Amino acid sequence: MSARIRLLLFIFITCLYSTVSTADIEPPFGIRYYDIGIAKNFNLLDIDGENFQFDTTRGQWVFLHFWASWCGPCREEMPTLQQLADTFDEDKLKIVMINTAEDEDTIFTFLSAINVELNSLMDTDGLVTETWKPRGLPTTFLINPEGEVKYQAIGGREWGKPLYINFIKQLVSN
Amino acid sequence: MLSIIPVLIVVANMQAVQPIIIETSELLVEITPRTSDQMGSFYEARGFPKPMLDILKKQCFITIGITNKTKETIWMNLSDWEFSSQDKVIIREHRDYWKKRWQKMNMPLNKQSTFRWTLIPEQLDYLPGEREGGNIVLPFTKGYFTFKARFATGKNKQGELLTITTDKLFCAEDAQ
Repeated sequence: MSARIRLLLFIFITCLYSTVSTADIEPPFGIRYYDIGIAKNFNLLDIDGENFQFDTTRGQWVFLHFWASWCGPCREEMPTLQQLADTFDEDKLKIVMINTAEDEDTIFTFLSAINVELNSLMDTDGLVTETWKPRGLPTTFLINPEGEVKYQAIGGREWGKPLYINFIKQLVSN
Repeated sequence: MLSIIPVLIVVANMQAVQPIIIETSELLVEITPRTSDQMGSFYEARGFPKPMLDILKKQCFITIGITNKTKETIWMNLSDWEFSSQDKVIIREHRDYWKKRWQKMNMPLNKQSTFRWTLIPEQLDYLPGEREGGNIVLPFTKGYFTFKARFATGKNKQGELLTITTDKLFCAEDAQ
């Protein structure tokens, strides 16, 4: 085999390997592969009044979570999001929560009452949520370091369970 | 739209009407008519303005939760759902109708958004084991009426067509 053919074969196999290894980590029950391309950018304020621009998260996996205080499963899921946040360093997994169409007081009161230390962005007019078209509330998207949406969680999940922690560990270590 | 599960749980606390359960080997459908007081309280607690509340309190709200019990995709499309009373069709307003109506009334965007989240999606592919739902809004109708829904199945909607029906649906009224 000539050196040229060996080189081409090497490039082909390398490309094939990298495609499979980044895209095909099998998600657990309740999460589906959801390859819809580049995540839509947005700017929102958090409950501390700080501006957040989504595009600044490039380079790390993002856990993008839509919720509302009136949504029962959102309330149940919230402590497990805290467990997730406690498990991963922020430079490995950025948890971005977006409250849908509620005011600052409602969000602040809710988060204090359920005793979590998570910040949330405020989509006060609901327009960012509409753009992202979640299936319902709650909904979570997992976005890779290149800014591509890769997975979607269906409804509320017990994120503190090993099933989900291990899946996300695989993603962030890949 | 709502993973309705949200609204189901919130409203369940003030629920007076027992849900109508339709269960087949493929689907579990839970249907709960809501009274004007229930829905009015829900939206009022979320700060909905009076003009919205006045309109919403006159509607017939029915919360529908659907669970896909199969291992394949089940497709819901509200255009395949029929409501009828004594052979007359009861017209369900599309979510776009409500959007236009609220826009015309200059209602706050966040209230418009919350309202939409409480509606069942117009279309949804139910993945295996998935449970989603939301509210259907109908004009207020006296007495029992018929509800018939068809669902496509399979990855490309080419599978068996599922049908569920009940002639015992009703609009819940507040206790006098």
